Amino acid sequence: MTGHVSIRLASERVNHSVSSSNELPRFYTPGEVITGMQDFMRGHGTYAEDDSLKASVAGVMQKVNKLICIRPLKSRYVGEIGDVVVGRVLEVQQRRWKVETNSRLDSVLQLSAVNLPGGELRRRSAEDEQMMRKHLQEGDLISAEVQSVFSDGSLSLHTRSLKYGKLPQGTLMKVFPSLVKRRKNHFHNLPCGVSIIIGNNGFIWLSPQKQDVLYEGNKDEIEEYDLQPVNRSDRETMARVKNCIAALVASKMMLDDTSIMFAYEESLKYPSVKDMLDPEAMLDIAFLAQHRINNAIEE
Amino acid sequence: MAGLLLSETEKVFILHGVQDDYRSDGRSNIDYRPMELETDVVSHASGSARLRLANTDILVGVKTEIDVPKPDKPDSGRIEFFVDCSANATPEFEGRGGEQLASSISNLMQRAYHSSQAFNLKQLCIFEGKQCWKLYIDILILECGGNLCDAVSLAVKAALFNTRIPFVKAALMDGGNVDLQLSDDPYDSKLLDVGSAPLLVTLCKIGENCVVDPSAEEESCSVISLIVGVTGNRQYYTQEEETDKKTMEGKCTTIAMHGPGSVAPKTLKEAINQGIIAAKSLDEALGQALLRERQENIGFKKHSYGFLK
Amino acid sequence: MPLDYRRFNGPEDSVSYKRFTKDYLKSYSELYNNLIDEKGRRKDGRALEEARSMCMFFARTDMVSQAKGSAYIELKKTKAVCSVFDPREIPHQNEFSQLGQLFCEVKFAPFSCPNQRRTHAPDADEKALSVALRQALEPTVCRHLFPNYQIDVFVYILENDGSCLAAAINAAGLALANAAVPMYDIITACSVAVIGEKMFVDPTEAEEHLAMMTPEKEGTNHGIITMSMLSELKQVSDFTQIGSMDTDCVTKAIEILEKECENIVPNIQKVLVLNVVQCIEQRKQLEEEAKEREQALNAKMEEWKQLLNSG
Repeated sequence: MTGHVSIRLASERVNHSVSSSNELPRFYTPGEVITGMQDFMRGHGTYAEDDSLKASVAGVMQKVNKLICIRPLKSRYVGEIGDVVVGRVLEVQQRRWKVETNSRLDSVLQLSAVNLPGGELRRRSAEDEQMMRKHLQEGDLISAEVQSVFSDGSLSLHTRSLKYGKLPQGTLMKVFPSLVKRRKNHFHNLPCGVSIIIGNNGFIWLSPQKQDVLYEGNKDEIEEYDLQPVNRSDRETMARVKNCIAALVASKMMLDDTSIMFAYEESLKYPSVKDMLDPEAMLDIAFLAQHRINNAIEE
Repeated sequence: MAGLLLSETEKVFILHGVQDDYRSDGRSNIDYRPMELETDVVSHASGSARLRLANTDILVGVKTEIDVPKPDKPDSGRIEFFVDCSANATPEFEGRGGEQLASSISNLMQRAYHSSQAFNLKQLCIFEGKQCWKLYIDILILECGGNLCDAVSLAVKAALFNTRIPFVKAALMDGGNVDLQLSDDPYDSKLLDVGSAPLLVTLCKIGENCVVDPSAEEESCSVISLIVGVTGNRQYYTQEEETDKKTMEGKCTTIAMHGPGSVAPKTLKEAINQGIIAAKSLDEALGQALLRERQENIGFKKHSYGFLK
Repeated sequence: MPLDYRRFNGPEDSVSYKRFTKDYLKSYSELYNNLIDEKGRRKDGRALEEARSMCMFFARTDMVSQAKGSAYIELKKTKAVCSVFDPREIPHQNEFSQLGQLFCEVKFAPFSCPNQRRTHAPDADEKALSVALRQALEPTVCRHLFPNYQIDVFVYILENDGSCLAAAINAAGLALANAAVPMYDIITACSVAVIGEKMFVDPTEAEEHLAMMTPEKEGTNHGIITMSMLSELKQVSDFTQIGSMDTDCVTKAIEILEKECENIVPNIQKVLVLNVVQCIEQRKQLEEEAKEREQALNAKMEEWKQLLNSG
């Protein structure tokens, strides 16, 4: 019984960059003039001065019609209505929860924006207010949708759908929000038996796929089921998916269900999951995944 | 490290994972995350090393100065550890925030290096009873992502391995004072014998089992951790094939507990054994890495990587 | 703690005169032979595995009348006082903490050590002892009962003749019990000094000193272990080791210490029971006195009533 230890030298450092097919975009640095023309709209990461539009962060330009934004790699999450996010409850307040979503300000989940047990059309009573901590307490993780954006930029969330709500057993990964591709669906049941929520805010939730049978049962039963140990094979696939995502993130590749699944399939050549923690293996997986994505695009 | 919130279900998941000997990133309970090491990164220090373990980043510099030996140990040099928790690591360290952590780590290192079987201070003697070398070991915590003690001890050992002490050409007694003559050639220096220097292993008790190298999430699931300092083995740090390959058993040089909980005596014994096993593989890996780097340097083709990442 | 500049700390570089005595220059083996006589007994007549808890142990509570709880412990020449004060709100803290905190401080009297004089400012040694003391006490105190409050525990070591951490923990446990701080278990501690093959249970200062010195023979075990236990719950709350020893030695020491920690429990219990008995007796006496007084008062009342009625 000996533990696995690997100490590498700095000279053996791996360069994680994976060349993608498209050429390098133009980068802007803070203060750089983007355009001198007036007829553009000022978006995130820009400011107007002396009749010209300048970048306020370092990043790449994004243009939608007349709106110009500069998107930095490491920005915090900028919410949009309808986004799926994963967040952690920080505080239980009066009739609302404060939720951390990696956005610039803490987000808010109103008591009126959650499904309480006992039907959707139930009136919210004073008891509900007192039972808030029973429902969600500090530290709990939730998946939710952005309902609206307040004027100061903080988000209001809702979980008024069966797919949202408190998350069961699993692990959370935090990645840069800019690496998450906006898709129609952010809830995936990967064919390998792991369900994954790729939050738009860069929080990714991995959990074993659940048998839906129990959902009809009463609340206690569900809770008990939630605390059952996860079996070994599920745990192994989860660890593999987690390391795959880490490999993709290290190479700054976009995350969605296809890229994760490609990486997962490529990673199967490493029989032991912990071998995937090595930088070389990470690069190899990311490289092969990128290759397959390129092929898929060409087809 | 406090301040990390986890939900009940996440904790349960981690706990069951440790019971299963399979953690959330695929490691078993005795596996370390990959580390990266570079020595000789600070030009004005006698020896230095930088170690990065996942998100923990440690920079160690060794300064050598001349001092008077302690009266009760006239033939030994001195060694002192200072830890600086820079607020760069986490905002919690701002002001005096990191002081307690810093003093507990430096204290732990001081105790681990106390025994002569761990680090022989006699090699720092210049003139018995009059003058000796004093090693100031300054440990800088640049980033803090769990498992500080282990990373610090590895970096310190690497920095000491890298340390060069100038040769003393002559030491003359002039009246009551000692007159030293040092060699002018910076390459005219000796290396220290650090093979037996101790490494610290933190064992985090989660549920009924102990894990090494806990991530920040795992650390917040545990109420008690045990820190074991174990002596190293010289044979990992020399290229010469020694004829008498006596496998030296690692010895405990310091044991301490950390955290508000307590352990049963049986768990304590098991944890100590687990720590010694872990320390052995750590020591072997460190020795190999350091020798490999020294080999590279012989050809003068060394490129310094430093902090570019 | 800030340095006290008003106090004259003495010249920095003064040394104890003992450095120039013959004792100081003794070699390792001479010192070693000094510790044990031919019959294998230690200098103070104890056997190797005999702790001072059996014959030379003295403890009492209510040492400091101003404190909420206090204790005094004497292990022959090691003497420690501990006082525990009422819980108070944690100063300079913005965040609410669910669990109460313990603030521990161990201090040596300037004249407590045989060789050097202890300075007034807390040195690294004292800080380490304070941390170890807190580590030892935390698991035993029901900290959830006083959230956001802290309890101050101060230990002053009047004389140090070895095992001062163990003495400090024992004294603090007793003082906490005396202060009626809710605790899960009685906490006891003991230390052992390892020199080669021999284990000196509850070592004296001379034995500790030798255990910390480099042994002449390469590769022999040496060092000191202190362990504190919650003996009813069978839990180790603190374990500190220094020196260099192999696992067998550590394992053996754990077993010895486990037994020794249990041996101290009856001593502590006796003091606590005595305390309660005394309290009850005191109360009884007070009650009796009160009764007497009331009777006298009633008699007086009757007398007056009669006087009034007759008058």
